[in-house]
Amino acid sequence: MTARDDKIRQVVAELDAHVAEVEASVAILKALLADDEVPGEQQDPS
Amino acid sequence: MPRMARELRKAAQDTGEDVAAHRGLVKMIAQWERGDRAPHERYRLLYLKVFSDALGGLSHGMALGTDVAVRLAEVRARAASLPGPGEIKALEAAALAKSRDTMTPAEIRALAADAIGQLHEAAGKLAELSALLGGDEAGEGTP
Repeated sequence: MTARDDKIRQVVAELDAHVAEVEASVAILKALLADDEVPGEQQDPS
Repeated sequence: MPRMARELRKAAQDTGEDVAAHRGLVKMIAQWERGDRAPHERYRLLYLKVFSDALGGLSHGMALGTDVAVRLAEVRARAASLPGPGEIKALEAAALAKSRDTMTPAEIRALAADAIGQLHEAAGKLAELSALLGGDEAGEGTP
């Protein structure tokens, strides 16, 4: 295991964390939009 | 199995090593695959080289493990599929346009700003990785 390999592993882990943060934020934003549509779909037809 | 034998032989030739004769190698591979025997270290290293090359990701003879190659490919694919700053701003605007109780406009703006900030950080890490892996990959997968 070289120092370069260690650095690559570290950067991959950091990239993973940033990507996960973006995915989570985008999921929340999309959920906010989707929430508006759900009540209409869930209206009781009776 | 004959194909794997050829792949192992090619990997061995690339590194100047010798392997068993073709027939013997095919027989050994069959034993390894059945679990009758475990391959010796040099054959395990040759397997690693074959699979790393097959993944196509690790250029310039990089000797990272297959686990890192797989994780790298997976993270880069996820990064490439992220929305861009413009799309995040559009999501923010759409979310702000809807009246809701779950989040305030300030929270929505902060969330979108954070997402864009993280996106830039991810782009920076991708550039750093490209530099570490070799210049020919620069920009690949950048959101």
